[in-house]
Amino acid sequence: MITLWKFNDVLSLSYKIDSVSIVFLIAIVTLFACSGVYSIYYMKEKENLRRYYIVYMLLFFVLCAMSCAGNLFTFYLNYELMTLTSAPLVMHEQTIEARLAGFKYLIYSLMGAYCVLFGFYTLNKYCVSLDFTYGGTLNMAAVSNHKGLVLTAVFLMILGFGVKAGMWPFHSWLTSAHPIAVSPASAVLSGVIVKAGAVGIIRVVFYLAGKDFIEGTWVKMAWMVLILLTILMGSTLAFFEPVLKKRLAYSTISQVSYILFGLVTMTDVAYKGAMLQFIAHAFAKCALFLMAGLMIKISGSVYVKDLKGIGRKYPLLLWCFAICSLSMIGIPPTGGFIAKWYLIEGSLNSNYYNFPWSGPMFLLLSALLTAGYLLPIVLRGFFPGEEFEDNNIEKIKIPAYVYASIIVLTVMAVIVGICPGIFVGGEM
Amino acid sequence: MSGFLILLTIFLPLFGGFAIVLTPIKSRKAVLGLSLSITVIAAVLAWILILNPPANPVILFRFIDRFSIAFKIDGMSKVFAGLISSLWPFAVLYSFEYMEHEANENTLKEKTFFGGYVVTFGVTLAISMSANMLTMYCFYEMLTLVTIPLILFTMSREAIRATRLYIIYSLGGAAFAFIAFIFLTAYATTIDFSLGGVLNLEKIAGREDVLRVVYILAFFGFGVKAAIFPVCSWLPKAGVAPTPVTALLHAVAVVKSGAFAIIRLTYYSFGVRILKGNFAQYIPMAFAIFTIVYGCSMAVKERHIKRRFAYSTISNLSYVLFAALLMTPLGMTGALTHMVFHGVMKIASFFCAGAVIVKAHKTYVYELEGFGKKMPKTFFVMSVSALALMGVPGLCGFISKWQIAKASIDSASIGGYVGLAALLISALLTAIYMLQILIRAYFPTEQETNVEKCDPSFRMLVPLYAFTIAMVVLGAYSTPLISFFEKVAGGMM
Repeated sequence: MITLWKFNDVLSLSYKIDSVSIVFLIAIVTLFACSGVYSIYYMKEKENLRRYYIVYMLLFFVLCAMSCAGNLFTFYLNYELMTLTSAPLVMHEQTIEARLAGFKYLIYSLMGAYCVLFGFYTLNKYCVSLDFTYGGTLNMAAVSNHKGLVLTAVFLMILGFGVKAGMWPFHSWLTSAHPIAVSPASAVLSGVIVKAGAVGIIRVVFYLAGKDFIEGTWVKMAWMVLILLTILMGSTLAFFEPVLKKRLAYSTISQVSYILFGLVTMTDVAYKGAMLQFIAHAFAKCALFLMAGLMIKISGSVYVKDLKGIGRKYPLLLWCFAICSLSMIGIPPTGGFIAKWYLIEGSLNSNYYNFPWSGPMFLLLSALLTAGYLLPIVLRGFFPGEEFEDNNIEKIKIPAYVYASIIVLTVMAVIVGICPGIFVGGEM
Repeated sequence: MSGFLILLTIFLPLFGGFAIVLTPIKSRKAVLGLSLSITVIAAVLAWILILNPPANPVILFRFIDRFSIAFKIDGMSKVFAGLISSLWPFAVLYSFEYMEHEANENTLKEKTFFGGYVVTFGVTLAISMSANMLTMYCFYEMLTLVTIPLILFTMSREAIRATRLYIIYSLGGAAFAFIAFIFLTAYATTIDFSLGGVLNLEKIAGREDVLRVVYILAFFGFGVKAAIFPVCSWLPKAGVAPTPVTALLHAVAVVKSGAFAIIRLTYYSFGVRILKGNFAQYIPMAFAIFTIVYGCSMAVKERHIKRRFAYSTISNLSYVLFAALLMTPLGMTGALTHMVFHGVMKIASFFCAGAVIVKAHKTYVYELEGFGKKMPKTFFVMSVSALALMGVPGLCGFISKWQIAKASIDSASIGGYVGLAALLISALLTAIYMLQILIRAYFPTEQETNVEKCDPSFRMLVPLYAFTIAMVVLGAYSTPLISFFEKVAGGMM
């Protein structure tokens, strides 16, 4: 562990790299590279480009620093900086709506951050140290009389980080902020920033409190209920959503909760599933948002219904869209399949009330809905139907490097499915 | 010798200020030069005293046996005197450019302003260095009186109304505080300040509750200046005064004198022993917690920039009071930390607002569209102070909240947890009202080309940058200062 600076006896800026950091770093680096390349084309005609790229690079730096944080303070510091540096990307268009969405994003995120802060203050007293150590660092002798308080603190931290992860009931910023942000920004927002919340929860539950402390308490129960609700709610709302980017945002809400699903199950298999879902969803969702940006540019409309027949002129684009959709749904050979396999196996093995059957049921139901909201786009894109007339819109020339960035992400999503061992340890 | 130094430090600005008003100098530069040099000399003297405090109190004047006007420098004095003597010279420098616009070349008006400003410095120093309740009370009353011309400055109807309210509140509050003074003379072994309290426990046996009620009265009496609900409404109204007054007096000197007096009253006169764990702690604490949230909510509602910051001050002062009311050494450490750190943050944001007022004549939040490009330097400082007030880690606001939170978690009492929750709610509301300003400034809906830059000159920028550096340095390297506060609270200073 490298300590850069000591603010006082407890608060220090320290960094180290462990298995969670590596998964997170892979996602960050790939996504930022691909969206960055894509930005060159997409942002060409926009204003304030200097600000955009400065903020983009800052955000990249802050995220990398956050993934390597070695203690809670360092994580929290970078987490707040991430919130502050990602807001300008949401507000980039500077319309009233963009500004409101950015403000909503900031306030929701900060509300979460302050919930985390309460837990931070409490854990500072009841933990031996705030360095991340697998298995937790709670001082059990001190906790014994204040178990309720510490559990509340941990729950507040889960809720607080859950705001970023789009957990019900704090999900509504996501569907305001993601659609209004410029497409490369919404791709990284949906790809990695929402997952920062999941990483925060991993750090708190597995590295500070320890899963044994939470196992079998009301915190686990309440958290689980929230996750199952979120999974179903996200998919259902996505199913009924006519606006393309909003649909994808709702999809993110549901898919990120899959990660949390793997965490709350608290078995090793499900944990692996969560990590795979983490990385598979990052690649696939980032690609989907980048493509959504192109589709909106092509069709000139934000609605799904106007995407009919898009596969005739842009077959490559729609093929990538189809593969990423398969990963979202969980169909082999994509990463989504293998992730869901582990998630379901993990929940079947857990002995927690009726979770062994209710958990998989929620996942399958959600998978069905996912197929329902993503596949029609692909189907109508390739097979618009007899009455469809080619309305002779001039074909936009999309440069090869834009395709390259999307294809890289799509291929990565498939690689996760074929050889998951690369990403989460050897034995799988 | 060093006893004489204390008197010189206090009375140089006190009489120097009057001299500025009375002497027949005409040129602006001479007025500024005089006030700046008096302030700097007094500040340097104060710092010399802080670093080499005289061992014995200096008695200036003795009424009868126990009652005397006496000065002494202990830990608390060092904290408060250090804070104000670091800020005052910068504020005078800032005022020079500000008053150019505000006073319309009316030299007499300007002289009154600078004179009053310097006198207030002396009075505040006297409060910080008072050795007993009587001295503090006298100078506390005097503080009310010498700041009247400063609030009345514009002579508008609004200013007159604000001043009237200020006088009524402050003098009324002082009357309540006086009751405590009377009781102290009757039931205390001495009226000198001494950590742990000076009450004669044998004498008060059986009458504890009466003294607790008296404490509560005095708490709200001094609480008028510290702007605790329900006696806080004078503070936002006093925002009609010129910005240097609002920034230094109504965010630091005057209001923190209130908090300072309350800490003196709680820890050094009554002593936490008879106050802790009963209604004398709970009732004031409930009000402090309520004020934390109330101030922030009103700030969110308020659209006038300076009034918004004034409400923010109300809330932040109650952080200090809340921490002090935890009545533990850690709580007092938290109170002192926030007292100092908030002073730096709030004066910076007020000075930014002042720069906007004189350079662009905008006073409402919704008028700030696109100012991030018009006044980039000013809004850089504004952003840093906003982030510090929100408590972003790395800046000083996080450290002071950390100290308060540590104290309240450590107290393991219901009040502590509720207060901490209020603190976090208030942090969120702070984010709302500060980020609103920044978003408007940096993300205007209408993009203007060819913006004219109108940043102020170096006289305003030097203080602004100095405070920015202070916010960063105090946030990054606070250990020596905090351990000093811990020593003060532990009675080792």
